[in-house]
Amino acid sequence: MSIFSFFRSAPRPSAVQAKERLQIVMAHERAGRTGPDYLPMLQQELLAVIAKYIDIDQNKVEVKLDRGGDCSTLELNIELPAREAAKALKEAAKAAVGKANGAAAHDDEVSDSVKMAAGGGALTNGGVKKRR
Amino acid sequence: MGKIIVMTSGKGGVGKTTSSAAFATGLALRGFKTVVIDFDVGLRNLDLVMGCERRVVFDFINVINGEAKLNQALIKDKRIDNLYILPTSQTRDKDALTKEGVEKVLNELSKEFDYILCDSPAGIERGALMSLYFADHAIIVTNPEVSSVRDSDRILGVLNSKSRRAERGEEPVTQQLLLTRYDPERVERGEMLKVDDVLEILAIPLLGVIPESQAVLRASNVGMPVILDEHSNAGQAYIDAVGRFLGEDLEHRFVSVPKKGLFSRLLRRTA
Ligand SMILES: Nc1ncnc2c1ncn2[C@@H]1O[C@H](COP(=O)(O)OP(=O)(O)OP(=O)(O)O)[C@@H](O)[C@H]1O
Ligand SMILES: [Mg+2]
Repeated sequence: MSIFSFFRSAPRPSAVQAKERLQIVMAHERAGRTGPDYLPMLQQELLAVIAKYIDIDQNKVEVKLDRGGDCSTLELNIELPAREAAKALKEAAKAAVGKANGAAAHDDEVSDSVKMAAGGGALTNGGVKKRR
Repeated sequence: MGKIIVMTSGKGGVGKTTSSAAFATGLALRGFKTVVIDFDVGLRNLDLVMGCERRVVFDFINVINGEAKLNQALIKDKRIDNLYILPTSQTRDKDALTKEGVEKVLNELSKEFDYILCDSPAGIERGALMSLYFADHAIIVTNPEVSSVRDSDRILGVLNSKSRRAERGEEPVTQQLLLTRYDPERVERGEMLKVDDVLEILAIPLLGVIPESQAVLRASNVGMPVILDEHSNAGQAYIDAVGRFLGEDLEHRFVSVPKKGLFSRLLRRTA
């Protein structure tokens, strides 16, 4: 043990992190247990809306979820066939998300993909923004 | 009417079979007529842990299928009166566990026995569901580790929604936590979840804390439930847990590192 380690602040014990991670993930799981798992359906319906406007490859669709303590995000990444199509998709996505839960879609200028972020407890509470 | 207890966990390898063997033996030692049933169809192991593997002729599935009488399949423990084992099949799979078949066997057993202990397989599939479906009481076996705690919570959800008591809207299955493989030294170093952390997360009453112990492997090597090793800390912890199950108010032991003298502390530092 070097003498310097006396002065360094102790790292957070891993058991503390374990407890925090469990509390967060289990709060979500308990909330989701009562209702049906609507994530697959939500994804399908969103895609159906988008497909009305653009020809998309179902394999190039990525749905990401990040459950936080008081805020969750749902991210939908869709790779588009051409740059031209991106614009149209953004409009469509905005409309779809706007209808679903009133959250605004984020524009993503840099790539041919569109990212939508639904804030708050959109996933735990059927699209109603919720903070604990 | 016998009471049906399920030893369950969701996650595999956390100590359900070890605990089932210990608990059944402990209840029998207290004078209750007890049978322990292996629900892990296809992966028979309770017989080895109980030390009766060479005496298995018929099994649980044979009885369900009407190929053998219940009394032919029950194995009486050689060490302890009042203790019986109902082993499972090694060749069949979990589909052999029909709800009607399991119910028939449990009904018959509960006429004769005080306690019927069901050793659940891992997972939340058919075998695990059948082992908990008829339960009056559940002992949730959990290790102080993230996956085990999360899976225990899943199983609690299943007990509250898919058990017979839940389906019929009866009094819910009572639940108690058995925290096993607990290592107070690692807890003290901040490397392992504390008893209180797990209790806070799962929010069910604590039945006992079984320390990580070499006695468990030694006992299973020779086919002796570890509760019979009265000198080991794991054996004593199981004895206490059985006492608490029967309503005794006992302090939890083996949850903290024993205080050492200055001399041995200095020795440990340099070791
Ligand atoms: N308190 C303990 N201290 C040390 N080792 C333990 C302890 N409890 C259980 N073990 C060991 O952990 C392993 C798994 O135990 P066991 O078979 O009882 O778990 P299980 O939950 O029944 O597993 P499965 O899900 O496969 O049925 C065994 O090798 C056993 O010896
Ligand atoms: Mg087992």
